[in-house]
This record gives sequence, C-alpha cells and structure tokens, in this order.
Amino acid sequence: MSETKYFHAIQILEDNCTGCTACVRVCPTEAIRVRDRKASLDPNRCIDCGNCVTVCQFHAIIPSSDPLDIINKFKYKVAIISSSYFGQFTEDISYGIAKQAILELGFNEVAEEAMVTEFMISMIRDYIRDNRDKRPILSSNCPAVVRMIQVKFPALLPNLFHQEAPMSILTRYLREKISAREKLADNEIGIFLIVPCVAHVTAVHQPEGAYKHLQDGAFSTGMIYGKVREIIKKLQNNPEQVDIDTYPQGLTWALSGVQAELVDCEDIRALSVNGVENVMDILSRVEDHYLDQYDYIVLRSCTNGCVGGCLNVENPFVAMSRIKKMIKEGESKDINVDDLEVLYHQGEFAVVPLTPRPIMELDKDIKNAIKKMKRINEFLTMLPGLNCSACGSPTCYALAEDIVMGTASIDDCVVLLKRHSKEGDE
Amino acid sequence: MADYWNIAPGMENALKECFSREVEADVTLEFVIPEKDFNNAGKGSSEVKNLLKRLGVDSEILRRIAVASYEAEINVAAHSVGGKMTSLIYDDMIHIKFEDNGPGIADIKQAMVPGYSTADDLVREFGFGAGLGLPNIEKNSDALHISSEAGQATLVEFLIFFS
Repeated sequence: MSETKYFHAIQILEDNCTGCTACVRVCPTEAIRVRDRKASLDPNRCIDCGNCVTVCQFHAIIPSSDPLDIINKFKYKVAIISSSYFGQFTEDISYGIAKQAILELGFNEVAEEAMVTEFMISMIRDYIRDNRDKRPILSSNCPAVVRMIQVKFPALLPNLFHQEAPMSILTRYLREKISAREKLADNEIGIFLIVPCVAHVTAVHQPEGAYKHLQDGAFSTGMIYGKVREIIKKLQNNPEQVDIDTYPQGLTWALSGVQAELVDCEDIRALSVNGVENVMDILSRVEDHYLDQYDYIVLRSCTNGCVGGCLNVENPFVAMSRIKKMIKEGESKDINVDDLEVLYHQGEFAVVPLTPRPIMELDKDIKNAIKKMKRINEFLTMLPGLNCSACGSPTCYALAEDIVMGTASIDDCVVLLKRHSKEGDE
Repeated sequence: MADYWNIAPGMENALKECFSREVEADVTLEFVIPEKDFNNAGKGSSEVKNLLKRLGVDSEILRRIAVASYEAEINVAAHSVGGKMTSLIYDDMIHIKFEDNGPGIADIKQAMVPGYSTADDLVREFGFGAGLGLPNIEKNSDALHISSEAGQATLVEFLIFFS
C-alpha cells in the first residue's frame, strides 16, 4: 500500500449516519464499509465520484468545500467558472447576469472555462497526432476518471491526455498575466474555482501531476447558489449594471457528447462516454484493446458530463438543454489564444506522468495472493450469495475479501447468523 | 482429430518444464458459454481479468490474457453450439481451455489465416466475424493448441506466463 495520505472533499458525519448501507452499494470502487452501524471511507479507494453524497438521505455524507470568506486573504481575487454553472438557472436569467453575479460575490475578476475550449480542442488534436502510438488517448479533465484509472486500470495511465485541464490552464495563464499587470506577488493573487462536483474540489486541494501552484480554493455551485440568486435578482432589476463578456461557443466543455463531436475530424475518431458505470465498462474494453479504432475517448464520471455534477442544483438533462440553447443562440467574444499557444509549446501545461494507486492486489507476492484468493473462495462458498450488504460490505465477495484481509468476520453476515440461530432453536 | 500447435519463440523450455511438473492449478474458474449469447459473451474473460488483477499480475501481460481469452470466448459463442471455458491459474502462468460441442473446424490452417472467417450474418451484425480471432489468440499467447475436425467438438487452449 502506498504511504500517501489521500485527501477527499467528502465528510462522513457519524451522528447522522444510520448505517443504512445505501452508500456502500453505490460506490463504484467499493471504498465504503459500514462497521458498528457507521459508514467509513477508505481514502486509498475513493475516487470522489460523489455517488455516496447523492444517495445519502440522512445528510451523513456531505461535501466539504471552502468557506467563501477565504478569498479575503488575498489582495486580488479571481474566480474561474465551470461551464456547467450556466445551465443551473431558469431561462429568464441571462448568461451575462449569471456570470456577473459571481463577480459580485467579492471577486476582482471572473474568467470561465469556456474561454479556452477552442484552444483545448486544438491542443487535444495536436496531442493525439503526436501520440499515435498510444491509441486511444483518454480525456483527463474529469478528476474522478483519472483516479478511477489510477486505482482500477493502471495499464491505461500512459493513454491519459497528459496536459492540464482548462481551468488549470487558465489559472496558470491568469496568474502570470495578473501578476505582471497588477504588480502583485504570487501569494497576493487568489485564484478560485466554481465547480460542479466533489472531484474538482478534491483536485484543487490535491492536484494530480501538477508541477506548480495552481488554485487557492474551490466553491461548489450548490454552496454559493443561494447568494448568487440574491445578486441575480438585484441585477435583473438594474439591467444597466450588467456589463461582462460571454463565450457561449465554449460552453460545450460541460457536455461530454458535444466535446467529442468537436474533437472528431477527418483523421481523429472520438467517442464520448459518461456515467461512472459506463466509464468502467469502456475502460475495461480499452484495456482489452477492443476500442483501438478510436483516437480519443471523452470520459466523464457524471451523467452527460459536468452538467451532471453532484454539487449542481439542476437536473443534468435540463441543464444540458439550456446550455445547448445558449450555444445555439449566443455569440462569443473573440479571444486571442496566442499567449496560450506559446505556453503550450513551451511545455507549460504538461503534467507529471501519473502513477498507479493500485487497490486490487491482495498481496505483493503472487504466492501469498493466491493463498488469500483460495481462502476468499472458501469463505465465499459459506456465504449466502445474496449481496444484501447488510454486513456492511457491498457484496458477499467483498465480505469474503474483508474477512481474509482481517477487517471483518464471518459473524458479520446477518443471513448466516439467522440461519444458525434457527438451527440452534430446533 | 487434427491438431495445431504454436509455441512462441523462446518459450520451448518453459513449456517443457511446465508439462513435466505435476501440480494442480491453484485456482480454477469455470464458465459456461451459451450459443450466440452475445449479451454475455466476454463475461468469462472479464472475470478472469479481475481475478488476475487481484493476484497482481503485470498489467501488460494482463492485457494479452484479456485479448486472447476474449477472442476465444467470442469464437465459442459465435461459431459453436455452445461450450465452456476453464481457467487454470498457477503462480506463474494461466492455462485457459475452451471446449465446445461442435460443429468443429474443417481446416484449422485456413482458420489461422488473418481475415478468413466462416461467421454467419447474425454474428457479423454484432460486429464480430472479422477473421482475426484465432490469429489474435496466437499472437498474444505463449503456447496455443487447437484440436478439431469437421463434425466434432473443438478444443482451443493456450498458456500465458506471468513473467
């Protein structure tokens, strides 16, 4: 096991946890167990997909994001907005108003992911053409997908697009530009992300493969939504105050399907996949070399892409439809990406080669692993095979594994216990 | 019965050694493959892959095993009246056997030619039948043995070492 302590932007409130096991059953990496009627998270296995946050009905698993007032620690405050944010409002609220509302939360400047979408697409195409030996290239923007590959599909790590995600590219670019323009030191500029999901909050606090200091914090759309709505109301009554550039053509980044269509061209075939179960299925096939006909695969852990993020407020399909409407009807302000091109060619956006976080191995030594496997199979034949999760492990197989790894006992099986007590009565 | 053998260069000694030892497999997995059941075809090899991940088998070797076993599993589903897959796992290699209930391969040599296929329309509709199955198994395995004849059952078995 690795010695690294993994941070996760999820908190389990024991007082609220009823031990219902709903979270145990939806976790794609089997990272949660209920023991003594309380849920606990294995930080080595968790990929921050947010399934448990969504499913918990008792507010026992809550996302942790930074308190908004941390921005006041900095002289110059910048917000970078995820494209999915703009799908969270009813259609009477314009793109410009929604964007300006973020500025008025107390920032000096707002930027948005959408500004660099076009640049990202050309960078991705360039990267694919330079790395034809690693077919297919897998998108790396979704931090949950990157972690999924690290824990369950380490053979595919070289296939990941090894360049920073758009919000981090913007961070690097803005930090340099602002520092020169405002004559400020690096630690006087605070750059914050407005994000749709737990995975992005985690990524801000523990970025994978980053060479340099990136963001200073992350706020979820859900957390700031109440405040933003108040500001929006004020702006709607004073439309003359709204003055901000928008980039509707770039909003495609929030939708995994549209992103794939944009990368797709004469010599590049792209596929789009979203939803964590679908992502796992596709990665397993990539591992078997069955999708080698694709040059690029857009992988997003949430339904429809970032619009499906668990810290958004709107349904992912409604949000997607709204964003599509904005793309269709809006006109983008022209953006000069020359500076970004230069930085890209200098290798400024490259990331450190990503390393595995294996969770599957039973033992470092294959002989011991086989011994453990045999014992798991022995326990498995004793267990009822109902996969009811009442023991607190997700499946009978997982319980057998937990018993062999020393973290559970066969007495945890409620079904066996009942059978035995019946036999005792007779 | 006609027999076909292929041994990857450099693997002759390892094979001799493994034929001479008399140990039982450490872990055995059996999987039934029904005829033309493309919804489930591939599940057997995927289960084997997950088990090998737990044993910590090197990821590149794992990919070779996955490709070979998936191809062979699809072959049984597509071309035979059904059969079974038996995976015998040792601490240094895997031996996977695919045994079906006919109708057999008339000309194994021809079946080994890339692009040659006898797949029917239904099979092709599912996107299989490109004639690369057996050549792919051969390419990815350390040793391959096929035993068959028209009108008879077919046995396809291969070995892949973990290092």
